[in-house]
Amino acid sequence: MNKKGLTPKDFISIGIFTAIWFVVEFAFGILGYIHPYIVAAYVVILPLAGAIPMMLFYTKVEKFGMLTIMSVLIAIIMFVTGMGYLGAPIIIISGLIADLIAKSGNYKKFSRTVLSYGIFCLWICANYFPILVTADAYRQDLVDGGFSAEYCENLFRAINPNTIAVLLIVCFICGCIGAFIGKAAVKKHFEKAGIA
Amino acid sequence: MNARLDPRTKLYMILIVSAVVMMSATTPLLWVVRIAMTMIPLILLVAEKRYASALRFTILYAIALVLTFCFLSEESTGIVQSLLIGYCGIAVQFLPALITAWYVVRTTKIDEFMSAMQRMHVPDGIAISLAVVMRFFPTIKEEYASITDAMKMRGIAFGGGRPSKMVEYRMIPLLFSCVNIGDELSAAAITRGLGGKVKRTSVEELRLHAFDWLLVLVFTAAAGIFVVFKYVL
Amino acid sequence: MSENFIKIEHVHFKYKGSEKGLLDDMSLTIPKGEVLLLTGASGSGKTTIIRLINGLIPHYYQGDMKGSVSVAGYDIVKTELYELAGVVGTVFQNPRSQFFSVDTDGEIVFGPENIGMDAGKIKARKKDIVSEMHIEKLMGRSLFELSGGEKQSIACASVAALLPEIILLDEPSSNLDQGAIGSLREVIRRWKEQGKTIIISEHRLWYLKDLVDHVIYMENGKIRHEWSGSEFASMDDEKVRSLQMRPLSVSDIMSPDFAGKENDIQIQEIQDGIVLKDFYFSYNKKPYLIRKKKFQENDEGLSLCILKLTLPKNAVIGVIGHNGTGKTTFLKCVCGLEKDCCGIIETDGKEYKGKERLKICYLVMQDVNHQLFTDSVEAEVLLSMEKEDKERCDQILSSLGILEFKEKHPMALSGGQKQRVAIASAIAADAKLMLFDEPTSGLDFCHMEKVSGLLKSLAAANNTVLVATHDPELIELCCDYVLCIENGRVGYLRKLKGDIKCF
Repeated sequence: MNKKGLTPKDFISIGIFTAIWFVVEFAFGILGYIHPYIVAAYVVILPLAGAIPMMLFYTKVEKFGMLTIMSVLIAIIMFVTGMGYLGAPIIIISGLIADLIAKSGNYKKFSRTVLSYGIFCLWICANYFPILVTADAYRQDLVDGGFSAEYCENLFRAINPNTIAVLLIVCFICGCIGAFIGKAAVKKHFEKAGIA
Repeated sequence: MNARLDPRTKLYMILIVSAVVMMSATTPLLWVVRIAMTMIPLILLVAEKRYASALRFTILYAIALVLTFCFLSEESTGIVQSLLIGYCGIAVQFLPALITAWYVVRTTKIDEFMSAMQRMHVPDGIAISLAVVMRFFPTIKEEYASITDAMKMRGIAFGGGRPSKMVEYRMIPLLFSCVNIGDELSAAAITRGLGGKVKRTSVEELRLHAFDWLLVLVFTAAAGIFVVFKYVL
Repeated sequence: MSENFIKIEHVHFKYKGSEKGLLDDMSLTIPKGEVLLLTGASGSGKTTIIRLINGLIPHYYQGDMKGSVSVAGYDIVKTELYELAGVVGTVFQNPRSQFFSVDTDGEIVFGPENIGMDAGKIKARKKDIVSEMHIEKLMGRSLFELSGGEKQSIACASVAALLPEIILLDEPSSNLDQGAIGSLREVIRRWKEQGKTIIISEHRLWYLKDLVDHVIYMENGKIRHEWSGSEFASMDDEKVRSLQMRPLSVSDIMSPDFAGKENDIQIQEIQDGIVLKDFYFSYNKKPYLIRKKKFQENDEGLSLCILKLTLPKNAVIGVIGHNGTGKTTFLKCVCGLEKDCCGIIETDGKEYKGKERLKICYLVMQDVNHQLFTDSVEAEVLLSMEKEDKERCDQILSSLGILEFKEKHPMALSGGQKQRVAIASAIAADAKLMLFDEPTSGLDFCHMEKVSGLLKSLAAANNTVLVATHDPELIELCCDYVLCIENGRVGYLRKLKGDIKCF
């Protein structure tokens, strides 16, 4: 077994952290059903909520592939749980770029980790993909499908090609902020306890 | 008739259903097709003796449908309506996908799934990680239940009113437990040969039975109808 | 080769990040077909030896290693772990974390599948193993709904399915009750008959005494004593005690006939006790239909049914009963964690219902990791106080002997120390009724004595202590009363005489 490559232990760690991350995201994602603005606010909530497990994850594997595989897993889970597959390429690309950035810092340099996590969080915007690409058709679909015009108006007011750039930037920034919070939590608990 | 489907058929079902939920129904015919498509995983759930979840989903879906058709329209306003619309809209729109997903996740064994992944030439690493994800959801549930119990006992379920503490008190013990379990799990799996160079075998023989082909056909046809009636005609 | 099947030569080992070495010039040879028992205090290096033989050291757990280990002709340092899969099998301590599948069938075939065995052959092998171990009734079930003992049976089956020549067991009985230990013993006996080489690291000795050929007692990473199987079986109690080992034979204190029915306590006998009233609970049925319905005494399928029970105050009460008879349910219901269970606790003329019960009760869980939330021992204790009082906190910590760890992270402590932190927060919360769920599972005798001393001192400080346990030794050490739970009902409450000595 090549010591550099991912070992079975690493694959198991990736699986565990993907599961944790998904649970966290899902718990907060449910909130989106209340109001469409919350769907837009995912870019703030999810990067912050997922930061603690992710920062721990960064200290656990430290090998190239960890984020790429995680993003593939997320894409598959999104698909299997019926949340569409249009965003899959975006999810995997953001995972791959995040992985490359973290690798350039050897998975140790915190500044790179911050950037990497910020990029990684951009996958959240993949959820908006259908809204953007097929905006008009999608709007009609939602209305026909039982959503009220009001819900749709709100949704499209929050998420459209004009705001997506803002959303992406906010997402990235929140990812970076999250990384600092997460790192602080890892320091406070896991490093002090000697397991990270 | 063999009710156990090949995992690949199940994945195909998901593919079609999640494509169809993206194209919502506009005519009565399409509604019929959509509802029929939702019925199939429900019936399959019954065939797998998962009565409780089948019943729950049927009721949820039925209520959402009735409300949508009888009481709500594009012009609905007001808080109650808009909340209702939110819920019903989501339910009608995404329940078919959710039901299918539930059916697949609940009735597929990890072994079967890994074997299907192997057949589809998914790399081993990804298959292992995915299997762990599936095994870990119930573990997280168990651990989380113990942690909330402990929080109740300490009277800190609401973190003393501070949301950051609420998250911290839940997340930190959960992560500690999961990391520990993960370490022990990897050790146990590796000593039983996980990650070797040999090609993994499986006792689950994957074969597409007549019933699988039938379902594939039905779902393809349903998707076809949607595409033709919405975009061609 | 049959003489020195496993050979450990001059091994020194130190875990990465730890200061002192765990193994110090360890040499050991084990002939084929031997059943070897490793015992000794926690941290004496038993588990490290197991890990050397199955290759987890040096391939999985990193550290400084010197010396050589060869197992069945393989040089461990140069052999990859997956090559050892069919040679060495390991049953681990924690039944919850060692399975990979979610269903029992998948778990048994997991190993053979990994080494790429032919599907037909695996099926035949699975069938053999299942019938040999009599676990037919466990097949086709989810692993998450099995009891600890059942999970451990599946773990043994899964290891056996690879037909290893060598089987290692690392404290396999830690989470098991008497009955499950009995079946574990049967499994080991069968493996012995099949001529497998078996190495067991264990604190509980009574179930192994007639099985082992060779016993090694370890201390600080060195072999301190060695006995043959027969020498070990006939060792006298005094010697066993002086070496701080758990007893070789245990009394049948768990059995209903012990101490005699004449010591049974009737409700009216206890004047000033803690009264539990109307505790009914069921896992099968949720009490809600449309409106909230309470469980009733005559509901069917109750997991817990206690009409009225008076517990003596300021005493240590052992709660016994087989796995799955409702001990943990009982504890959780008493302290109010199962909110569908609406029992009433009466003490000192006051009634506690619903959530109020949480104020006077405190449960120290089997897995204490779940109840430690903060980043220092001090903060952990202060969190439990209504008003932060650092002086009182120091007092509590010093009375439990953990004042020196005040600034440390609770998770950085050892298992026993964590338990003390949990107890400290229970004291800080002014709990009068303290509940313990299996506080001594997997502890060596020395630590068990400490726990029992602690429980006694809690009772002496006007607390009532309920302790659910499978360890007869613990009951003998510290319990004043025994409460037996059978199928969710009170079997009996019995006073133990002070002069009982069974080992």
